[in-house]
Amino acid sequence: MIDNMNAIQTNQLTRSFGDLKAVDRLTMDVPRGTVFGFLGPNGSGKTTTIRLLLGLLDPDQGNAQVLGFDTRRQAGEVRVRCGALLEHHGLYERLSAEENLDYYGRIWHMPKEERERRIRELLEPLDLYKRRDEPIGQWSRGMKQKLAVARTLMHHPELIFLDEPTAGLDPVASATLREDLALLVAREGVTIFLTTHNLVEAEKLCTKVGVINHGQLLAIGSPADLRAKTSAPRLYVTGQGISERIVDDLKRNLLVTKVQNQNGRLVLDLNDLTRSYEIVTLLVQAGVQIDEVRKEKLDLEDVFLQLVEEETRGEK
Amino acid sequence: MIADIATVGLKELREIFTFGDVRGRSKFSLVILIVIFGIVIPLQNGRGWVRSPINIMIWGWMPFLWVSGIVADLFAGERERHTLEALLATRLSDQSILFGKLLAAMAYGFILTWVIMLAGLITVNISYGRYYGLIFYPTSMLLAALVFSILISGLSACIGVLVSLRAGSVRQAQQMMSAGMLVLFLPFMLIQFIPVRVVRSITEMATSVSSLQIALLVAFVLLLIEGILIVIALRLFQRSKLILD
Repeated sequence: MIDNMNAIQTNQLTRSFGDLKAVDRLTMDVPRGTVFGFLGPNGSGKTTTIRLLLGLLDPDQGNAQVLGFDTRRQAGEVRVRCGALLEHHGLYERLSAEENLDYYGRIWHMPKEERERRIRELLEPLDLYKRRDEPIGQWSRGMKQKLAVARTLMHHPELIFLDEPTAGLDPVASATLREDLALLVAREGVTIFLTTHNLVEAEKLCTKVGVINHGQLLAIGSPADLRAKTSAPRLYVTGQGISERIVDDLKRNLLVTKVQNQNGRLVLDLNDLTRSYEIVTLLVQAGVQIDEVRKEKLDLEDVFLQLVEEETRGEK
Repeated sequence: MIADIATVGLKELREIFTFGDVRGRSKFSLVILIVIFGIVIPLQNGRGWVRSPINIMIWGWMPFLWVSGIVADLFAGERERHTLEALLATRLSDQSILFGKLLAAMAYGFILTWVIMLAGLITVNISYGRYYGLIFYPTSMLLAALVFSILISGLSACIGVLVSLRAGSVRQAQQMMSAGMLVLFLPFMLIQFIPVRVVRSITEMATSVSSLQIALLVAFVLLLIEGILIVIALRLFQRSKLILD
């Protein structure tokens, strides 16, 4: 049944290429108006999922509804209402920024005045309007990516797909694009399906994230939910005299679920973080000279790595 | 759908005329073509350039060469520059994209042919008008040029689209087009090996029918071939196939 509250609904969506299951029984919902981050390592099935959702590929099994339309039978309706920035920016480098946007405006049958107004509306906040007449071949990659994001929004889509929009950009350009993206998203009020393996990006932009690996959805929820579900907060202890014997003792301690020795820094997952003083006392008694003790919640990167690690262990 | 075809076609034409030949070879090549075929050769041939019926053959085959120069870029180029996937993710239908590109290539051949014909006419009149008065193409020649510039441009565009769809890169598409052109001209080269008796009977048969009938027959055969090629192209040009290439 189609749920109007959801922009995307998939049910057991599966697509294989030969023996490889690129997307494996993917079932998930993306509510309207959210920025959804689809996280996964390279080759995990993110791009194939986008292609399936846009109706560019047919699923082998299962189905998907995008904005209430079946992606297999009503792919044209889906594409009318969506914008997409895929793996490559797909801009015509011989044409100017204005010509690129104008072409896509024509594709969506926008009248001339509306195209002109929209181009200005999109390029001004990105600081590209003054350079709209330049052929974009000489532009930096960051500027092209910004223009490509503007292109996806040209026709006022209800939903946009962004496939790793900051991939290949330097940190400054990535941060700028993220800021511009957040600005445009807030103004346009569209639903965003963003794939990335940049977890900082997901943490900053997304209200809901899904983690995929080997085509399978490992977890879905808000970043905070995932942190809470995946693991307890961690204790970081830095000091002198942390030996392997001490690490072995900690592994046997019932309070400790996991311990890692990272070049003299202990990273401990505890059953109960309020009892962390017991660990500190133990370490002091064992002769460790403690420099710093820090309690910290897992960041999304830790959650992601943990999920992927658990999945890989499960496979083995 | 017509509006979509026009949108795609106009964008292609803009790219072709603004940036010239395949892979950004400058628009200078366009100027050279016009100078050679619109000024130099008409100057050498004089009034015969405009009046000789033999030129129908030239006006028929020239668009083939011109279109083959740009058509390789249409799909292979888009794929190579990663612009095709973005286009496939839009609301445009497969047919709109295919016909838009096809018509742009045809229009290029057609426009170039007529620009060169006009340049030739002006050149001949400026150079020889004072001896012969106003020189103009015969009506039959104009009509033949009109029909065959469209049909031959269409043939070249159809072959080019198929080649461009199958080729992995622009360079490969160009190489395949060059090889294809050799195959097309092969029958003309093989004429010398046909027994004289056979050639004579074909010539007798050809002279027994009017030139109009021959032109109509050739036009019909070209239309038929183009129809078949378009059907094949439509079967090949499908999003789900292209996206995996």
